[in-house]
Amino acid sequence: MSRQRKRIYSSYEKKLTPFSTSLVAEFRRAADEIGDLMSDDELRAWADQGLDLARQSWRSWEAAGEYYRVTPQVLPLLGSVGFQRWAKHGLDLAELSSALAASFFRASPVTLPAITPARIGDWVGLGRLLYKGTWRSASLAVQFFDGSPALFAKLSAEEARILVRFVDALCDRSYDLASHCLTIAAQALEPLEGDDRSAFLTFAESLASTGWADARSYLEKGPALLASIQAMQRGRFLNLARELARREGRQAFAFFAEASRALAQVDQESHGLLLSLAEELVERSPLAAMEFLKTAPMALERIPIETIAEWHAEGSALLDQSSDGGEAYFRMESSRGEDMLEALSSRVELSRISDILRMYSKALTGFEVAVHSSEALAEKGIGWVEGDAPSTEGSAIFLPPHVEEFQDKDQNFGVYKVYCTHQAGHLEFGTFEFEFERDGAIFPTERIKAEAERPPPEPAPPIDTDGHVDAPGEVTPPPGPLTDMERFFDIFADRKLASDLFAIVEDARIDVLISREYGGIRRQYGDRQSRELDRRPEASQLPVRQAFVENLVRASLGGRDRIVWPGQLMPVMIEAIGVLETLQQPQALVEDSAEATLRLYRLAEGIANVMPEMLEDWAEMSEGDLNVSPMSAESLGNDAQVDMPQGEPMPYESPQPVDFRGEFKPETVQMLMKLRQERDEKGQASPISPEQLKQMLEKSVEITIADMAQADLTQSSELFLTNLIKELNQKQDQRPGKEQPMPTEDGQPVTGMSTGDDEHELPVEPKYFFYDEWDFRAGDYRPRWCRIVESPVAEGQTSYYEQTLAKYSSLVAQTQRQFELLRPEMYRKTKRLLDGEDLDFDAVTEFAIERRARVTPNPKIYWRRNKIERDVSVAFLLDMSASTDEEIAKHERRYQKDDFDDDPRRYFSWWMARRAQELLTPPKRIIDVEKESIVLLITALEAIGDDYGIYGFSGYGRDNVEFYVVKDLDEALSDRVKKRIDKIAPVRSTRMGPAIRHATAKLEAHDSKVRILFLVSDGRPQDHGYGRDRTEKEYAIHDTHMALMEAKRKGMVPFCLTVDRYGHDYLKQMCQDIGYEVVPDIESLPSRITTLYRQLTT
Amino acid sequence: MTTESTHRQYAIEEYLVTSEPYYEPLNDEVALFEAAYAEKIPVLLKGPTGCGKTRFVEYMAYKLGRPVTVMRNSADGSKNGEESGMPLITVACHEDLTASDLVGRYLLEGDSTRWMDGPLTRAAKVGAICYLDEIVEARKDTTVLIHPLTDHRRLLPIEKLGQIVEARDGFILVISYNPGYQSALKDLKHSTRQRFMAIEFGYPPRELEAKIIAKEANISEAIGLELAKLGEKVRHLKEHGLAEGVSTRLLIYAGKLMHEGISPRRACQVAVTWALTDDADVQRSIEEVVSSIFE
Ligand SMILES: Nc1ncnc2c1ncn2[C@@H]1O[C@H](COP(=O)(O)OP(=O)(O)O)[C@@H](O)[C@H]1O
Ligand SMILES: [Mg+2]
Repeated sequence: MSRQRKRIYSSYEKKLTPFSTSLVAEFRRAADEIGDLMSDDELRAWADQGLDLARQSWRSWEAAGEYYRVTPQVLPLLGSVGFQRWAKHGLDLAELSSALAASFFRASPVTLPAITPARIGDWVGLGRLLYKGTWRSASLAVQFFDGSPALFAKLSAEEARILVRFVDALCDRSYDLASHCLTIAAQALEPLEGDDRSAFLTFAESLASTGWADARSYLEKGPALLASIQAMQRGRFLNLARELARREGRQAFAFFAEASRALAQVDQESHGLLLSLAEELVERSPLAAMEFLKTAPMALERIPIETIAEWHAEGSALLDQSSDGGEAYFRMESSRGEDMLEALSSRVELSRISDILRMYSKALTGFEVAVHSSEALAEKGIGWVEGDAPSTEGSAIFLPPHVEEFQDKDQNFGVYKVYCTHQAGHLEFGTFEFEFERDGAIFPTERIKAEAERPPPEPAPPIDTDGHVDAPGEVTPPPGPLTDMERFFDIFADRKLASDLFAIVEDARIDVLISREYGGIRRQYGDRQSRELDRRPEASQLPVRQAFVENLVRASLGGRDRIVWPGQLMPVMIEAIGVLETLQQPQALVEDSAEATLRLYRLAEGIANVMPEMLEDWAEMSEGDLNVSPMSAESLGNDAQVDMPQGEPMPYESPQPVDFRGEFKPETVQMLMKLRQERDEKGQASPISPEQLKQMLEKSVEITIADMAQADLTQSSELFLTNLIKELNQKQDQRPGKEQPMPTEDGQPVTGMSTGDDEHELPVEPKYFFYDEWDFRAGDYRPRWCRIVESPVAEGQTSYYEQTLAKYSSLVAQTQRQFELLRPEMYRKTKRLLDGEDLDFDAVTEFAIERRARVTPNPKIYWRRNKIERDVSVAFLLDMSASTDEEIAKHERRYQKDDFDDDPRRYFSWWMARRAQELLTPPKRIIDVEKESIVLLITALEAIGDDYGIYGFSGYGRDNVEFYVVKDLDEALSDRVKKRIDKIAPVRSTRMGPAIRHATAKLEAHDSKVRILFLVSDGRPQDHGYGRDRTEKEYAIHDTHMALMEAKRKGMVPFCLTVDRYGHDYLKQMCQDIGYEVVPDIESLPSRITTLYRQLTT
Repeated sequence: MTTESTHRQYAIEEYLVTSEPYYEPLNDEVALFEAAYAEKIPVLLKGPTGCGKTRFVEYMAYKLGRPVTVMRNSADGSKNGEESGMPLITVACHEDLTASDLVGRYLLEGDSTRWMDGPLTRAAKVGAICYLDEIVEARKDTTVLIHPLTDHRRLLPIEKLGQIVEARDGFILVISYNPGYQSALKDLKHSTRQRFMAIEFGYPPRELEAKIIAKEANISEAIGLELAKLGEKVRHLKEHGLAEGVSTRLLIYAGKLMHEGISPRRACQVAVTWALTDDADVQRSIEEVVSSIFE
């Protein structure tokens, strides 16, 4: 090194030393590296720049250090001119903040190669954009520079620009959020490809300005969500999302997430089409577009992708008329949307036809059979596990939730019908009425003998509660069988085989009886059978005993010609078919099935379950083989001598189930039926001893513990027992023969769970009904939107009723008199009739005169008395919302407060007086007056003899509209009714619409000339979700109005009475031309309500 | 001016059941009715519509009129000279039926009036069977009117004439009542009820009903049986969407339509399903039962 250089070095080192020794070191290291490339002047200029930097502020020597440090890397990249410009940027940054400059320098060596030198300015610009002069902004900008190497390694300059804009937008809300997003951005964007990133970031930017709180989730989860969308379509999807964010703000991320999850559920192939359809909507309503995507998977479950455009078109047309209507359509919250889907779909939903099938089954069997989804049966945990196989547990028929086997709806319904008919057949033809000791109609009884000959069962060592096996010797004799079915299966060593055989023969018997009794369904039934035959497994591939059973299944399906069987064993098969066909006669009873089982079992026992290869001559059975002389029931199934090849037998496995016959569990059903019967006789369900149950569970092949729970036998049987008791209690009100709730037009009763909260009373099971709700924005109903939970009011004391009568004795007497006057039959004399009770003197005189005058006389000369019969029924619907808890005094005060405002003394004295009075008598609440009015009304109605029902309603939310029965329309006044009045109490909200609809349905079922629906309320309808948000009142008013109009259309006379003084405001809108009244003076309600009622009905 | 009437027309007391109506006894009702008739006990026939009450009364009228020998009409339908059967006067009750409608009223004739007996008076005078069909439909004040006739003296007071008619031998009062309408308003008053012996009618058992349908509709017993089966199944729906089960009458109509060549499913649709209910769901479920039974 030249001396000159050395001097320069040492002079700068001296100047730099005061700042930091490390700065000096950096200088030296860099100078050594680049010294050869520069002239002395350049070197000085370079060193001076560093020195300037270091002098700039207190800690700016750090920036200077970075500057020196990176120079050897940067200089070759930029050349000296570029280097100068670069350094200038750094200096400028340092003027803002030395940390900023430092990070800029630090990041440069790696970042610069990624961006073109020409864009350094842009880069710095991004950092400067973030810097706002505050320390938080500075640290964010530093973070940006520090992260730049990683960032630019992944993002293009353009992408980085959008990202920074996004982060900058977040800064307005939260620096922490901004900083976090900046940290994860590069990583998060990694999985996205090319164009998607800018689309992704553009949406992020829109989110930042609206749903900024979601920005973080978006950045974190968004890429993964997007990944499930078809690669080519992601950009389009993001554009849709951005449009939503731009126009709707707020929930954009939620929609983005839901819609992408929805798209993930459908075939990627269809994403393109779905997005095109969504794009068609986005112009008019981005919300509708997103709702459409969200609904798509559900719609596609029911209709093929080819028809979705048709469904879309209907909604799109609706959107033109009203955006709310269209949005509700795509949200599937409108009847139109649902109906359209239903019309386009060939799939049949059980929920839509269960009513029809229930009545159909009732007609066929004569029993009260409910029809439910198989899923419900599996959920009960009482032995059934398949959620989609038809079955019955003795009191209800369970069917798969939907059928979509065919392209055609009628055909799919036909499948349901066959399923349902087969299950109904079990009930109609007495499968579960099997009696062990009863003779069949065809086969001689051999069960009893077989039972006696059976080797005594090895007493299983009892298992104590810990699952330990007790020491031998203390064995207790096992309890006897619970049911006749169990006793029958006890005969057989191989219970599974016996159970399979019984299922085949019994199902075959039922099928025969059905096709004999129901000629019209024979063809559909036959179709099902041949379909089943087509999907049977190859018999010749099965171990031989299983092949034997398989062949029986085929024969039972009418597939004798599909039997494949080794020639050398042919006689057994022929014998077995003989047994089956002997059974397939119309007179066969379930006991004959048992006898057939016994015989087939013997035959099957003789056939070792060896591999099929052990026998060679597998062949289809020829008609010739079968044309053996008809065998007599006496001799059948008794010679089972066969020569089986020697071989290791395989464990026996049950045959593949036959779909339309479903799950068949005769033993369990008999047990359930027995328990139900005991419960009905003894009034409670205290069924079997745990020992008996455990034994049954151990033995039974119908209930596989492993299927039910991963637990040991004791636990499982306890669980089973619990479920069983639950099941029995639930059915308390539904024993066969007992009247089921009448189905109403749209309110469909559904069985619910027992409430069981009152120990003393039998738990009364609430009944559930569903009603549509009117969405005035959409101009359409939301289908099955509200659930009514109907239950009687709890019972209190009758004394309340008596006391009220006493308290109002004079009013009571007066009302009674008024109403009794209405009672006698009234006649109206109609004159001028062609024919009647008697001649009308005036008319006859006229007649004579006219005749004399040779005028054609008026021949209408009779009169008749026509009876005006009073045929009135009325349903009172009482608001039991929490607001009725309000004391009347306060209620009044609410209105009077203004008067006192100016004069506090007046108010105070009034208040004092009120308090004094309140101490004497407890404050009366609105509900109390309502109750008293009811008592008075009852006396009036009893006097006049009208049919009346008294109901209350309240609830919370659309799923839980409580409907309380004080007295049902067809219930007589009794002490129980009086006791219930005592317990009327304020509950929760006021969703009037569904309550009105339910009361209407009740009135509708009641046959009367005049039907009145009398609504008593204390305020406007309101409930959770009864409107767009909490403050909106319109929605509730519209729905209530619609419900009233529906009642009117159905021929009811609705009337609304309110004690809300401000009621006029909304009642006018709610009732329009329906009668209403505001009773401002609450205390006058009892007398007013009776007067009103009288006026209404005369 | 006279016009030749093309329809047959009888004075009430001349309406005789002249050819043996087809009636299939369900039980011992024939013997019971004969006993009641002999002992002059008024009879209440209870049962749902279309189960054969009217037919039974017609049959009894015929039977009681010819206690010893049964004589057939000659082939051309004219009477063979001898009086046959008992006169039967049937009144279908309705809610506007008044006392005058039953007892009689004045008619204007020229410048004077003429009294005309009502059906009840005529029946009492000639000693006919008087059948008041669906008695609960009538006004309560009308029902009371028959009370004196059910007493042992069997009198009918005619207020407007100031007369009392004593029922002639052979007169018997038969009323019918359908307990199916369970409305308190349409219940028979106890004071009325307690004056009659009651014969209960139900729908015939499947085999018998099949025979009746086959005979009345002129179809094969096999089809009759299918229709009877349909009847049985549909009756399970009573109180369960249907106010009343399907009557034998409707099943016969369906059979008759089939006889005329209408397809079975269609015949059942118009004569059974649509006749019974307007409720779409109930209609649909009946239709499913029909299509399960008939091809
Ligand atoms: N036991 C029966 N024997 C013969 N026909 C019967 C019988 N029961 C009912 N019918 C048929 O049913 C139809 C209706 O019976 P009908 O007597 O009019 O019923 P009801 O008077 O009870 O309403 C009759 O016309 C007849 O064809
Ligand atoms: Mg009749």
